[in-house]
Amino acid sequence: MRDAVLLAYRSIRERKARSILTVLGIAVGIAAIVSLMSVGYGMEEAITGELTAFADIISVYPGKIAGATYLELGSFTDRDVSDLQRIGGIKDITTMTYDAAEVEFRNKRAPTFVLGGETKELESLYVEAVGLKEGRWLRENDYKGCVIGDRVANDFFDDVIHVNDKLLINDKKFIVLGVFEKGTMMYANDVDPNIFLTLRAAKDVLQTDEIKYIMARVYDIDEAEEIAEEIKETINDNHGLDEFANAMTMGSMLEQIGGIFSIIRAVLVGIAAIALVVASIGIMNTMLMSVMERTHEIGVMKAIGAKNRDVLSLFLLESSMVSLIGGAAGCLLGLSVAKLMSFLGSMLMTGMELEAIVKPEVLFGGIAVALIVGILSGFYPARKASKMSPVEAVRYG
Amino acid sequence: MIRTEHLTKIYRMGAVEVHALRDVSLEIRDGEFIAIIGPSGSGKSTLLNLIGCLDTPTSGDVFIDGIDTASLSENGLAEIRRKKIGFIFQQFNLVHTLSALENVALPMFFAGVGREKRLKRGEELLVRVGLGERIHHKPSELSGGQQQRVAIARALSNDPGIIIGDEPTGNVDTDAGNAIMDILGGLNREGRTIIVVTHDAEIAARAGRIKRMRDGMVLE
Repeated sequence: MRDAVLLAYRSIRERKARSILTVLGIAVGIAAIVSLMSVGYGMEEAITGELTAFADIISVYPGKIAGATYLELGSFTDRDVSDLQRIGGIKDITTMTYDAAEVEFRNKRAPTFVLGGETKELESLYVEAVGLKEGRWLRENDYKGCVIGDRVANDFFDDVIHVNDKLLINDKKFIVLGVFEKGTMMYANDVDPNIFLTLRAAKDVLQTDEIKYIMARVYDIDEAEEIAEEIKETINDNHGLDEFANAMTMGSMLEQIGGIFSIIRAVLVGIAAIALVVASIGIMNTMLMSVMERTHEIGVMKAIGAKNRDVLSLFLLESSMVSLIGGAAGCLLGLSVAKLMSFLGSMLMTGMELEAIVKPEVLFGGIAVALIVGILSGFYPARKASKMSPVEAVRYG
Repeated sequence: MIRTEHLTKIYRMGAVEVHALRDVSLEIRDGEFIAIIGPSGSGKSTLLNLIGCLDTPTSGDVFIDGIDTASLSENGLAEIRRKKIGFIFQQFNLVHTLSALENVALPMFFAGVGREKRLKRGEELLVRVGLGERIHHKPSELSGGQQQRVAIARALSNDPGIIIGDEPTGNVDTDAGNAIMDILGGLNREGRTIIVVTHDAEIAARAGRIKRMRDGMVLE
C-alpha cells in the first residue's frame, strides 16, 4: 500500500502544474460547501441564540398572521388578563398597548408608533437585547419621560433628537430620557420606529385602555406549547370567536426559523454541488489525459506482470489522492473563507455577532464528498487504462 | 520449454490484412540461448510478443511449460508474464518517475512481495548488473547502456526462467551492447532460457542457436 501511494504520488508530482490545478478545482468546490454551511449555521445560531434567551415567553396578539402580514382583529380586555392569571404554569403576565401617534419636534410633525408597558418587562425584552446609545431607561414613575428608537432619533426630523430634548406626542409634552441603539434583525421593526412610554403614559397619550399585546412567562419551557394553546382557547372563548387570539411561543418561532434555514442550507449546498460537478469533470479530464500520456508506461507495467486490477487500483488511488488533498485544502480554504465572511458580515451589520460555526461533521463530510467525487470521476479513466492491450500500449509513443 | 504450433497473426489495418506471422511452429528447449534475426517487418517482434504473452495469436497455440496460453484469461496471461518471463525492450521502457531500485522492485510489487524483501533483492540485482552505485538514480540520470542494465535487473526481479529481449542492444553503443550480451550469456549459463530478437549478426553469433525469419515465416 505504501508503495502504491508512493507510485501515485510520484506520478502526481510529475505533472505538478496540472495536479495543482485539479486539486484547486476540488478545493474550491469543497471550500464553497464548508464555508457556506458554516456561515449558514452561524447565522442560524445568531438568530436562534437571540431567541432562546426568551424561550419562556409566550406572545399573545389579538389577530392572526397570514403569511407576512399581521391582521389585527381587536384588542384584549381586562377580563382576558385576569382569566389568564388563573392558568397554571404561568409565572407572570404583562400587558402592553401600542398605537399610531403623532410626534412633534421643533415645530415639525411626524407619524410614529407609541408602545407602552410595564417598564421592567420592556427593559428585559428590548433594552437588554438592543441596548441604549444615550441616556437611561424608563422607570415606573417616569410619566413624562420617553425613550425613542434609532429611526425616530435620526431619520424622522431634520435635526437629530438627543437626550433631554422635548417632544410633543399627541400634543402631550415628554422629555427624551434615552435613545436606543440601532436594532438588528428581529428588533429593527420592533424598536427603531417606536417611542416607548410607561403603560400609564401610553394609555393617556393614546386615549385608550385597550390591551394590544400580552406577554406571559412560563415556569417550565417544556409546557410553553400547551399553555399557549390554553391561552388561545381561553381568550377565544371570552370573545366568542374561533381565531381571535394568536399565542406564539419562542419554540414555535424557532421551529419556523429552523425550517427556513434548512431551505437556505439546501440552496447553498446546491450551489456548492455545482462547483463540485465542475471539479469532478476537472479530475476526469486530468486523469484521462494522464492515462493517455502514460499509455506507454501502462503497457510496460502490464508487460512486467501488472494485472488489470493493479492498473485500475493505481489510477484510482491517484485520483483519490488528488481529491483527498483537494478536500483537505478545501476544508482549510473553507474555514478561512467562513471566518472572513463572518468578519465582513459582523462589520456590515453592526451590533450583530455573526460567528461562523464550523461543525466537524461538515469538515469530515467535505473530505468524504471530495473522496467520493475523486473515485467516481477517476473510475472511467482508470478502467480505460486497465483495459489497454499491453502490446499496443508498449508500442505507443 | 516453449513450443509454438501453427502460429498465425493477422493485423487488420482498415481493409488491408497484414500477415505478420504465417504458420510458425517452433520449439525452444529450457536453457537455450536463441537469437531470432531477420529484416524489419519479418515478424520477429510479433513472434516475441506472442511467446511473451503480451499478445494473442489469430490462430495457433503457444505452450509455455506445457500451459496452453490460448486458454488463459487476461489475468492468467499477466500471471505468466509475472512469474515466468522477464522482458527487455529496445527502448528500455523504465518508469521515468521511479529510481533504478524502484523500477527493479516494480514487478515484485505487482507480485505482492513485501517491501523490505523487494528493496533487498532489487539492490542485489542492481549490484549484479554493475549498478550498485547508482540504485537511487532516475533513468534520466543514467546512460543508455546503464538503463538497459536496470531493465535487465528488472526482468530478473521475479526470477523468471525465460528472458525475452526485443533488440536489447539496438539503442546502445557497441561496448554497452557487448556488456549487455555478457550479462545475458551469464544468465543463460545459470540455466535461463534467453530469446533475443536482433538484426545485428555479431550479436546473434553469441547465441547458441539462430533462427532466421522472413515474411512472417521461420526459415529452416
